[in-house]
Amino acid sequence: MLNTTRRRLLAGSAAALAMPAVARAQGAAKPRISAISQWSAGSDGAAISALGKVFEENGGTWQHNPVPGFTTEMMNKLRAQILAGDPPAISQLKGPEIAAWSKIAPTVDLDPLVKAAGFADKVPADLAKSCQPGGHWIALPLQVYRVNTLFMSAKGMQRAGIAKAPATWAEFNDAAAKMKAAGMIPVANGGIRWDDGMKFEIALAGISPDAYRRAIMQLDEAALKGKEVLAAFEQLRRISNWMDPKIAAQHWSVNLPAFLKGDMGMLLMGGWAQGSFLHAGATTADFSSGSGPQDSGAPCFDLNADCFIFWQTKAPDLQAGQKLFADLVMRPATQEMYSKITGSIPARTDVDLTGPGFSEGQRNSAQNLREAIPQNRVLLSLAHNMAQSNGVTAAMIDVLTEYVHNADISAADGQKRLAAAVENAL
Amino acid sequence: MPGSLPLALRGQPAARRPAAGVWRSRLGALLTPVAIWVPLLIAAGHVVLFTVWTTWISFTASKLVPDNALVGVRNYRVVMRTANFQIAYTNLVIYGLGFVALATVVGLLLAILLDQRVRGENVLRAIFLYPLAVSFVVTGTVWSWLLNPGLGIQKLVNDLGWTSFRFDWVVQQDMAIYTLIIAATWQAAGFAMALFLAGLRSVDGDLIKAAQIDGAGPWRTYRRVVLPTLWPIFITVLVILLQFAIKTFDLVRALTGGGPGISTTLPALVVYDFMFQRGELGRGSAAAVLMLLSLVVVLAPYGIFVRWQRRRRQA
Amino acid sequence: MKGTRIIVYAALIILALLFLVPLGVVVLNSLRSNQEIAATSMIGWPHRFAFGNYAEAWNRFCMAEHCWGIEPYMVNSLTMAIPATIVSTLLGALAGYSIALWRFRGDQIVFGLVTLGIFLPEQMKLIPWVIVLRDLSLINTISGLILIHIVQGMSFTTLFCRNYYVSIPQDLLKAARVDGAGFFRVFWRIVLPLSPPILVVTVIWQFTGIWNEFLYGVTFNSGEHQPVTAALIALSAAITSEPLYGVQSAAVLIAALPTLLVYLFGGRYFLRGLTAGAVK
Repeated sequence: MLNTTRRRLLAGSAAALAMPAVARAQGAAKPRISAISQWSAGSDGAAISALGKVFEENGGTWQHNPVPGFTTEMMNKLRAQILAGDPPAISQLKGPEIAAWSKIAPTVDLDPLVKAAGFADKVPADLAKSCQPGGHWIALPLQVYRVNTLFMSAKGMQRAGIAKAPATWAEFNDAAAKMKAAGMIPVANGGIRWDDGMKFEIALAGISPDAYRRAIMQLDEAALKGKEVLAAFEQLRRISNWMDPKIAAQHWSVNLPAFLKGDMGMLLMGGWAQGSFLHAGATTADFSSGSGPQDSGAPCFDLNADCFIFWQTKAPDLQAGQKLFADLVMRPATQEMYSKITGSIPARTDVDLTGPGFSEGQRNSAQNLREAIPQNRVLLSLAHNMAQSNGVTAAMIDVLTEYVHNADISAADGQKRLAAAVENAL
Repeated sequence: MPGSLPLALRGQPAARRPAAGVWRSRLGALLTPVAIWVPLLIAAGHVVLFTVWTTWISFTASKLVPDNALVGVRNYRVVMRTANFQIAYTNLVIYGLGFVALATVVGLLLAILLDQRVRGENVLRAIFLYPLAVSFVVTGTVWSWLLNPGLGIQKLVNDLGWTSFRFDWVVQQDMAIYTLIIAATWQAAGFAMALFLAGLRSVDGDLIKAAQIDGAGPWRTYRRVVLPTLWPIFITVLVILLQFAIKTFDLVRALTGGGPGISTTLPALVVYDFMFQRGELGRGSAAAVLMLLSLVVVLAPYGIFVRWQRRRRQA
Repeated sequence: MKGTRIIVYAALIILALLFLVPLGVVVLNSLRSNQEIAATSMIGWPHRFAFGNYAEAWNRFCMAEHCWGIEPYMVNSLTMAIPATIVSTLLGALAGYSIALWRFRGDQIVFGLVTLGIFLPEQMKLIPWVIVLRDLSLINTISGLILIHIVQGMSFTTLFCRNYYVSIPQDLLKAARVDGAGFFRVFWRIVLPLSPPILVVTVIWQFTGIWNEFLYGVTFNSGEHQPVTAALIALSAAITSEPLYGVQSAAVLIAALPTLLVYLFGGRYFLRGLTAGAVK
């Protein structure tokens, strides 16, 4: 294996040596792109590889460096390269971090390309805003996930005698109580800290999208101390009491077999869970998915998205590569291809999801997004670093995860701690 | 003490080939300071430079990248106010004491047992030593499987029929820190064992014989003659284990992820969390400086002890 | 007497079994399919031996588009760990010799600083190293990692060697110097021949530490230049996909093989080296 790559590298460098003359003659460099992402495994790894293939089919050279592990390691690498004066042409980045990082190294103004592609008004406004911190497009969204998604175990529903997925928190609590009475663990969950933060955000988004926007996205003090946030803490306590007490620090997918068997009933998880269900040998008959509980009736879309930021470079081949990549990422066909692999929905809201390859869950999710946009009910995810800078997010999640695992903290106390943590972190 | 010393030099006077010898010794005289100082400057220099740099950054507004705008002690105030920081130091005391004590006791026990002229000593020693070869990430991951009540030991025992058996420390806020002690002890006890065993083996045979002639039984000989000579080794073991404890990072990340909640966070995690996860280099550096200060507090008594011991020996 | 022997053996065997449990679990999991582990539990006997996990781990599984398993990363780790171990050990021996036997002004302070180095957390040194590597143009090279491990490793190697060398009698040195032997000659003719026991200890210590390091390997090196620890992390969980426990276990075993062998075959010398005085 190594030999073949070496050979490929050698062939590549030989080609590169031979290239300049040809390139000069033609007046253009062969597009090349260097990319950093954390996508190395599973459907993420498969999707980014497929994207690379598309890039190469369009005449580019694809140089992707997956940074295994956590987002933190990826950022360490990006920081190392920026400090070394050698940022990658593009790197995976999201939410407010796009604005933060764009301050430490020059980025590419993508406005002309975005305009030419007619991309700007196809993307949810809040997401578009996060990609243009200084008023210009410097990053492009690739895919979107709905975080507030509720998965129901078909066998679990049967066992507890529940006919349809709960639409409100009251119904959710009701269903959970029934499941508990049937000897099941109502909520299948993971034990890693973002999982706990996510349950809180789904609770608050389901209670009042408006309060979520003010408290979480705008850090409005009155809203943070308001009654909706308190209600979200109370709901979070109920959810915690229905969780699997044995999960510890394990990945949420550990509970999939029990969930499919009907020993656990409900899973609050982003749309990406679907890929794992199918991977674990489930069929679409084993589970259903839909929007998380919503007390205020109208659709609410708690959004998580992945974007690529474009770093300035002097190399003509990388510049050409950035143009080509931007063009490809904005194309509906590319976004469609990508979402089909990962189970997300395209960042472009005008992509048609009726074709084969998309699931009911994805269609439902896309429909949800389309309905939520005009009503201003698209929210940015806290636990997935869309709403706040990493510093504030981490401080808030500290409080939330501690609250979930310590039943002695009252809802009122939890709320107080959250407000204090925000104040200290700012 | 090294055993026999080969005195190769004595038989070869330096004056065999005068001219070459003079050149060589001149060159040697020139190079000697280089050979002394270059390695030492590298070894000590990076410690000093990196520490000074980190201290400087801890007083600045550095966020994602270093920044020279000073903010006074604000970073320290913010860091010390977080729940993480307070929990991390409480944990360090529990974990540090627990782990160092347990690993020392287990190591000593293993060494004493192995020192009883047992059969298969080589195999047994290899078994107790092998965890040292494994990385902390792997240790943490494997123990997170074993200690998980839904996956590991508890499930196994429950499935075997003893359904009321509970071993779920890892999911309990106030007990999870002890799972770190278990995993870390598993990894490091072999090292303590090796050091103790080395100490036991280098005890002077004459001393033992003398004690036996005095009519002391084997256990008494052991307690009165052998164990006291281990005293200096205790210090080495404690320092090395303490160093493990303070730097513990990968193990926690893989075993508990700092949870349940934030109940098993440790100072090194706080440093990493601020510096890199939160992108607050200034605050992370403040946390690192505080960590080093706490280390000085612990190590200073040791330094004083060593000095006192040396003076006593000279007197 | 006989009773005590039985207790000694029983205690040793029980403890040995306890120490072996984690290894056993990983070995068993490396032979179980992922579905089987997911459907039952982490501890269990394989229903059907899945030897394919090893092939998958060795040269098949993908880190994004690079589907070459951990094989190339093993090569990287070896090219990193071997030179870094040798050089840091030699420099540590030289530095330890200077401090222990070639006394000079301020030697205790220098020694204190070097020792402090073993306590510095890795996390703290990450950014300074970025700057150093940048200035030396060594980012994303194996040489860069080697440099880091040599410099940082010297804290331990110097400490070990110095503690060993202080027990060499000063008289021996005096005699040699009277005979006209300089710094290098004494080192070469007296100190080094006495050193093998301690050098074995430092080599084992360094090799294991460098082989298992993860943070620097991931941060400073990309793609094809990463050490094997990075590939191992890639096999553990990501948010959106489930971990592959079977393949992960096989990869862990393969990746741990060099250090395990070092301890297995070097264990005896390790102990001998410690006995010879490293602990004083």
